Amino acid sequence: MLRLAFLLLLLPQAPQPKFDPHDLSGHWNRTSRFQTFSNVPTGQGNAAGSAEAPFTPAGKAKFDENKPGYGPRAVPPAIGNDPMGTCDPLGIPRLLNTEVISPHQTMEIVQVPGRMIQFFEWHHDWRQVFVDRQLPKADTVDPTWNGTSVGKWEGDVFVVESIGFDERTWLDKFGYPHSENMKLQERYRRIDADTLELTMTITDPEIYTRPWVSDTKLFRLDRAKSSRWDEQIYCVPTEEYQFNQRVRDEAGGRGAGK
Amino acid sequence: MKSRFLALLLIFSLTALAHHGSSISYHLDKTMTLEGVVTEWHYSNPHPQIYFDVKGKDGAVVHWAAELLPTPLMLKNMNVGWSRTTIKPKDQVIIVCNPSRVETAKACLAKELTVNGKSWPLGAGPGGAPPAAPGARR
Repeated sequence: MLRLAFLLLLLPQAPQPKFDPHDLSGHWNRTSRFQTFSNVPTGQGNAAGSAEAPFTPAGKAKFDENKPGYGPRAVPPAIGNDPMGTCDPLGIPRLLNTEVISPHQTMEIVQVPGRMIQFFEWHHDWRQVFVDRQLPKADTVDPTWNGTSVGKWEGDVFVVESIGFDERTWLDKFGYPHSENMKLQERYRRIDADTLELTMTITDPEIYTRPWVSDTKLFRLDRAKSSRWDEQIYCVPTEEYQFNQRVRDEAGGRGAGK
Repeated sequence: MKSRFLALLLIFSLTALAHHGSSISYHLDKTMTLEGVVTEWHYSNPHPQIYFDVKGKDGAVVHWAAELLPTPLMLKNMNVGWSRTTIKPKDQVIIVCNPSRVETAKACLAKELTVNGKSWPLGAGPGGAPPAAPGARR
């Protein structure tokens, strides 16, 4: 076996495309399967269990208030309260770890002087990360859906620090909560020409007793995507509302008539 | 390669089915067949919807709704003929669908669709569906 392995090492390897590790630009499709913030490795798709969250009592209470339509605590959307059901903004980090999935799978990264910008196909949402400044003091920042973010390079890792999040958003589709005081760190690393790696850490003492680290998210560069963009992948409140009233609520036993 | 494709297709399908909690709202392991007359066709987000009237053996008409796959997936099927005018009021439909977990609910998740005698693909495109016949997009 060792001889075979040695022989394999001697075989000529296909040349790897060259890439600049500090160039994160392009359309990235998430390839890691899990759609939640932090998953147990053996989890399966939407039925995945999430790694046990280090909840504070207040965090657990807030978690229990959230009624997702996915995962082990799923309820029919008709009686749930997922912000997605009313087309509310999904926010960061949910846009990063849940919604970059087929059929709205693409996140585009654009790097311009002073900023890194991320466009999310689903909801046609976007956020910007400033790279020419320090993170402001928390008490000077009003909460926003996507937070206030600054980034810098640590070697070949682009590190984004964010504060100032609107607490109405969830971390993921399983209903994990956060407070307005959540601090989020994202670490992006281009590990080869076509693969981007992301890990995240949440520090939110009101909700979690210790920093909570995500599983590793992987994205693959979609070189063909730059020539197209699915324009119709909006969440449209009026369409969502009528769908909820006439189909989703009916299917969930809360029908008011079609 | 084939098995890998099938695995990806399965993952893709499970993801699609789970959109908006379909796996919770419907019995995915059961199907029923409904025949009726279309009253409305909504080719809109988040899922296209068919509203139709079903006449029972007693002559009573019951109004039903069927949701399809998430609209972004259906948009990928436009090359096989899906559009805002694929279905129109008074069309005759036969819909095989997953029933709601609420027995009295008149809403279901469409699995197979026949419109005026023609079968329409409900899977996620591209792939898995035949190319549209000339002029199929009505």
